[in-house]
Amino acid sequence: MDLREKSRQLLENGDVKAVIGYERGTMGARRPAFIRKAERADRLVFDEACAQNLATYLTRPEVRKLGRVAVAARPDTLRAILQLMAERQVKEENVLALAGDGTVELGTAQAIEEHLATCAKELPARDREILDRLSRMDRAQRWAFWQAELSRCVKCYACRNSCPMCYCGHCTMDCNRPQWVPVASHALGNLEYHMVRAMHLAGRCVECGDCGRACPVGIPIHLLTFNCEESVHLQFGQRAGASSKLDYALSTFRPDDKESFIR
Amino acid sequence: MSRIGVFTCHCGENIGATVDCAKVAERTRNVPGVVHSVDYKYMCSDPGQSMIKEAIKEHGLTGVVVAACSPRMHEPTFRNAVEEAGLNPYLCEMANLREHCSWVHEKNDATTDKAADLIRVMVEKVKHNTPLHPIRVPVTKRALVLGGGIAGIQAALDIANAGHKVVLVEKSPSIGGHMSQLSETFPTLDCSQCILTPRMVEAARHPNITLMTYAELEKLEGFIGNFKATIRRKARQVDEKLCTGCGLCITKCPNKKIPDEFNEGLGKRSAIYVPFPQAVPNKPVIDKTNCTFYKSGKCKVCEKMCPTGAIRFDQQDELVTLDVGAIVLATGFKVMRTDKFPEYGYGKYADVIDGLQFERLASASGPTLGVMKRPSDGKEPETVVFVACSGSRDRAKGVPYCSKICCMYTAKHAMLYKHKMHHGKAYVFYMDIRSGGKDYDEFVRRAIEEDDVKYIRGRVSRIYEEDGQLIVKGADTLMGGEPVEIKADMVVLATAVQAQDGSEELAQKLHVSYDPYHFFAESHPKLKPVETNTAGIYLAGACQAPRDIPETVAQASGAAAKVAALFSRDELTREPVVAVVNRLPAPTFSYCVGCFLCQSACPYQAIEAEEIRGRDGTLIKTLAKVNAGLCQGCGTCVSTCRTKAIDIQGFSNEQIFAELMTL
Amino acid sequence: MTEPFEPKITAFVCNWCTYAGADLTGTSRIKYQSNVRVLRLPCTGRIDFMLLAKAFARGSDGVIVSGCHPNDCHYTSGNYHARRRWMIYRDLMDFMGIDTRRVTFSWVSAAEGARWAELVNEVTTSVRELGPYTEYKELALTGVE
Ligand SMILES: Cc1cc2nc3c(=O)[nH]c(=O)nc-3n(C[C@H](O)[C@H](O)[C@H](O)COP(=O)(O)OP(=O)(O)OC[C@H]3O[C@@H](n4cnc5c(N)ncnc54)[C@H](O)[C@@H]3O)c2cc1C
Ligand code: SF4
Ligand code: SF4
Ligand code: SF4
Ligand code: SF4
Repeated sequence: MDLREKSRQLLENGDVKAVIGYERGTMGARRPAFIRKAERADRLVFDEACAQNLATYLTRPEVRKLGRVAVAARPDTLRAILQLMAERQVKEENVLALAGDGTVELGTAQAIEEHLATCAKELPARDREILDRLSRMDRAQRWAFWQAELSRCVKCYACRNSCPMCYCGHCTMDCNRPQWVPVASHALGNLEYHMVRAMHLAGRCVECGDCGRACPVGIPIHLLTFNCEESVHLQFGQRAGASSKLDYALSTFRPDDKESFIR
Repeated sequence: MSRIGVFTCHCGENIGATVDCAKVAERTRNVPGVVHSVDYKYMCSDPGQSMIKEAIKEHGLTGVVVAACSPRMHEPTFRNAVEEAGLNPYLCEMANLREHCSWVHEKNDATTDKAADLIRVMVEKVKHNTPLHPIRVPVTKRALVLGGGIAGIQAALDIANAGHKVVLVEKSPSIGGHMSQLSETFPTLDCSQCILTPRMVEAARHPNITLMTYAELEKLEGFIGNFKATIRRKARQVDEKLCTGCGLCITKCPNKKIPDEFNEGLGKRSAIYVPFPQAVPNKPVIDKTNCTFYKSGKCKVCEKMCPTGAIRFDQQDELVTLDVGAIVLATGFKVMRTDKFPEYGYGKYADVIDGLQFERLASASGPTLGVMKRPSDGKEPETVVFVACSGSRDRAKGVPYCSKICCMYTAKHAMLYKHKMHHGKAYVFYMDIRSGGKDYDEFVRRAIEEDDVKYIRGRVSRIYEEDGQLIVKGADTLMGGEPVEIKADMVVLATAVQAQDGSEELAQKLHVSYDPYHFFAESHPKLKPVETNTAGIYLAGACQAPRDIPETVAQASGAAAKVAALFSRDELTREPVVAVVNRLPAPTFSYCVGCFLCQSACPYQAIEAEEIRGRDGTLIKTLAKVNAGLCQGCGTCVSTCRTKAIDIQGFSNEQIFAELMTL
Repeated sequence: MTEPFEPKITAFVCNWCTYAGADLTGTSRIKYQSNVRVLRLPCTGRIDFMLLAKAFARGSDGVIVSGCHPNDCHYTSGNYHARRRWMIYRDLMDFMGIDTRRVTFSWVSAAEGARWAELVNEVTTSVRELGPYTEYKELALTGVE
């Protein structure tokens, strides 16, 4: 049994309306595939090269309309599904996660939580390397690093579109009364955009890294949201995507939260 | 297009002497949108207000900025004036040129520049102001009074007599508070019980008052006019309805060696007890930590004795929820104990007592039936030293303030002692005599002149025991600091008045502020002495600051008047500074994505879910919606919302952004 | 001759504690440096991190954020939420290389008039020493807009 066979069964039995998975793209890459008919299930692949977080599609209106769908889910995808449930964007009864090799059916939030407990999370070597480099820099060097990186941003919003947690219909970036952030791609606007995005993902980012992967000019933009997530973890001892019950680090508090800088 | 009028006030010399008001008004004329800018000596005066009203009509103003004192002072004044001229009051803002500028900076160009900046900020804000309308909420005409001392009793009676329902909640088994422990009261020396007991009985019998003794506030939700209070009625282990107060159980209880709180440890009581003979209600409670049955599982003598079968060993605490419209806080004070004084023996010496203990010794109903007997051996003390300011006005003791009542009760104590023991010697060590009040100074003079109490100005540095006597060492500062040593039989420390234990937690439950010493904070030290910062919660008595009885009663009646005024209306209007979730035409409906992160951020549970349904009833979207009755306008939700769907009226994103962008 | 550098300081304060505290500074006639411009908000909970960012974008050299002490929030917990937000935002600023010495977070109660004067003086003096925040100001000048 593999993902193809599982999907075929699910579609044939009418258990799900569609399977969101991956298929072969150009040059050995994988791209998302939306399978609605059992006979098309053999296009699916599920291997190491399947990196994208498919949870992103669950909040799309076309997908929402379908009803229950199955998703080929890597651990990050599972975390995103839980976080989306907590934020009332995805209903438990509307998702069936296909985890592991694609045949492990996780039909409830609880099942997903239990499965995730067995998955380890590690930072890719390339990210580790950049973070190490940043940690050796002084403030001015970090500023120079990010200014150089962000100067390449063309504000295509691919990062935002790829992020499973960037589902807001009306992003702060789209606000024009007031116009919080200048629209054009420009040093101040770029800094502010990424600052807004990182802050809005603090306590919500499931650390899939899709935003960074999506960037056409290769800015490691995910490291900003990773950083916020890490400071949430270090200071409040929690991580996004751990549960389908809302526990947003920035809308809760403990009277004894410890900081060292308030005078 | 905005047509803004700006009115710069000199506040006499207060602003005018530091800020060049004419120049500021001149410069403001050039700010885009400003069509009228003038300066005037006193904007808050009648002519000043008329100036604003006329200008609104003459220039067709769409917004007003008054550059004067703090908005916390005069915002209502000017908003009223603006409203009288037919403009929505929320189209008026104030720039704070006095507290935030002229009073804190030197007279120079930079200060005038700052004044102009502060005005520009408010002009930008007011351009984005929108007309707002007060929010109306219903009022539940029932008051909750917390604390059954004289403050709480008086407040409850006054509210009840105004025709409204009151629930009086008292933590201990009886109402009465500290006043019930006092022997005689200054400045008239009338017996405390004699004047208090009738009030206690009246409160208990009043048809509008429900008494809940041995009860405490567990939780408070809601807001002015609409509080929901949860009260924990602690288990008395006695069925109040069946008990007739005959007291047989008390006489038969085998466990009679428990230090008596009412007598400040100078007497003993049984495990089932009423705190004092005049207690209201006169129904006993079982002290579970000391009851033989709860300790060893055997006894139940009281149960066997009770003729009405009122004893209930299985009684549990009960939680009651009450809808109330207003709350009076009257939880009183405590006195510092003698063990806080290493220099006076850490409370080791039985004959070094505090003022409340002296009250019990002097009381005809006290453990000695009013005969002066010192605690250690029952001997009549021939020499007594009274030490005023014990702990008060002493930073090292954490009490830099004056406890206010001690000068008076110390004079009273010395007098009472002399009245009981004419041949005895009474000394008072004091720092200053603070006896302001009607007939108060005369009272102290009487102690000195008629009753021959020796007043020594100076601190007592040490007290120690030697051969069954207490050696009091001090200095007489009026004699050039000459050392004084007195051999005394008893010493009475007028220890500091402090906030009741647990005040901090209670304040947090009620969302009211407290001062650094944990006394509850009034809303304004002069003009709002009975209000707290939380609308609908008022203060009475010594829970706010040290107070004597006349002041306590006056304040309690003040608080009651506030409650009665609130209850005189069926509906209450509230400031419309509340959050709103934006609404748009279909198919968007709102920028809100229904993530409800704002809901968990709201301290007042003011955010609800609203379902948008199609004509056929299918759910299209679930959106956040603010309950304007619950929202207090903090704006925490606004900073949490990523889509900027939720915003707060009066401090909106557009307003603040515009302010910031003009700096 | 060049004028000595006078920093631009923007303060975001809550209405109930720090704004009232600053009023008390006034009533007590305690003098402090006049560089600061105060924006009044209902609560620290209302202070969006974007306001801080925009203050720098508008050329502030230093920013003060202040409200009620923990436990004393007029709205009971707005300041606790704000504290968490600042804990994260300050880390992010530092990670992005923004100079965190230019933002001072503090608690000033309605009774702490003298403390407000002290705070403003300390911040003004230290930011004057740091000099203008040129790095950030240049951002607004580069690029297309
Ligand atoms: C030694 C001494 C002598 C004095 N002599 C005089 C005098 O001669 N003349 C004079 O004018 N004044 C005198 N006073 C002052 C007088 O005692 C006070 O002014 C008066 O008792 C204040 O009344 P109150 O109701 O505010 O507080 P309290 O008398 O302290 O009453 C508070 C009540 O609230 C209850 N309570 C506390 N916490 C809670 C809670 N969380 N929930 C419910 N109930 C609660 C307490 O049990 C108590 O019953 C004297 C004080 C002292 C210490
Ligand atoms: S890593 Fe990027 S794409 Fe993934 S959840 Fe975080 S912010 Fe979104
Ligand atoms: S994907 Fe890259 S270039 Fe596009 S907006 Fe995001 S960071 Fe900028
Ligand atoms: S108002 Fe904002 S935070 Fe609240 S539910 Fe809507 S989108 Fe989420
Ligand atoms: S402003 Fe927002 S967070 Fe504050 S009380 Fe109102 S709804 Fe709640």
